[in-house]
Amino acid sequence: MTDNTNQTIDWSLQKTMQDITIGEELSPIYIDVTLQRLVMEAAANRDLSLIHHDASMAKATGANDAYANTFFLYGMIERLALEWGGVKTFIRKIGPLRMLSFNCTGDKLAFHGKVSEIIKDEDTVILDVWVDNAGKVSATSQVKVILPKQ
Amino acid sequence: MASDKPSWGMQGTWEQALSYVGKVVGVSQGADAVDASSVRRWLEPKEFACPLYTDEQAAIDAGYEGKIAPSTMAITYGQPAHWQSGDKRFEHGDEPIQIPIPVIFDVPAPFSLSFATSMEMEFFKPLYHGDVVTITHELVSLVEKELRVGKGAFFKQKDTYRNQNDEIVAVGILDIFRFNPVSKGEG
Repeated sequence: MTDNTNQTIDWSLQKTMQDITIGEELSPIYIDVTLQRLVMEAAANRDLSLIHHDASMAKATGANDAYANTFFLYGMIERLALEWGGVKTFIRKIGPLRMLSFNCTGDKLAFHGKVSEIIKDEDTVILDVWVDNAGKVSATSQVKVILPKQ
Repeated sequence: MASDKPSWGMQGTWEQALSYVGKVVGVSQGADAVDASSVRRWLEPKEFACPLYTDEQAAIDAGYEGKIAPSTMAITYGQPAHWQSGDKRFEHGDEPIQIPIPVIFDVPAPFSLSFATSMEMEFFKPLYHGDVVTITHELVSLVEKELRVGKGAFFKQKDTYRNQNDEIVAVGILDIFRFNPVSKGEG
């Protein structure tokens, strides 16, 4: 199931270490890979490689179409963690991010996450993150975040 | 002359590639300081609207000294200019501009194609508006491997991101597979 509404986030909400339970799922983010988005992304992140906005060049490397770059996935993972945790969430580490298949123009992505580990002494939470592309996982990552104690 | 079959990276022997292991293979000087315009343009395609990046008071209330940029934007802020005064004109047939990844473009090796397989980044300090980022790129290791796409090697690149005060903002590890594609009828 997908949701195409542009959900407004209540940034006054903040997770603390006391709130977290293992297995808790993050609210997923749904986003379509449009060519417009890829062009905007390339201009903004400065990865101008043609494979990220030129279908013929992307196909020559084995993809079906122009595809999102690593840095787009990184940025979306940062968004996923911040929207879940709140503005006092410090992202300590993202990765290893493993790219398993291309995320091409025309694809619909869903960024998911769940709490996999809680390290109370370090105020740290480990999130398992995955990107769903039409029912297939196209990328996985872990994210280590530091949260306020309370 | 560009072709429809991409080929990139400095060409050389395997021995030449090995001689770069453990060495700094490039330093990227970020072209621009962190500013509101570049942050906004980066947030737009991700539909990402967090007040830490746009609202000074919200960032201070969250414990920062002022507005910050998303941590993962370090990658963008560490990139050098793609053109500057004195450079040649862009012309039809030029090689396309690629993101500068020194283990692909500056380490000679006997491979024609490449792609990233894994990346991790640790973040140590926030990026504040006005900060300028420099990246030091090091080749950590080379491991020969044959994958479905062809024979090649994993190149592991360590990137250390520093701000203008020489403070480490982030450290990234990037795994790149450089290879020669399997020919038709082969494999």
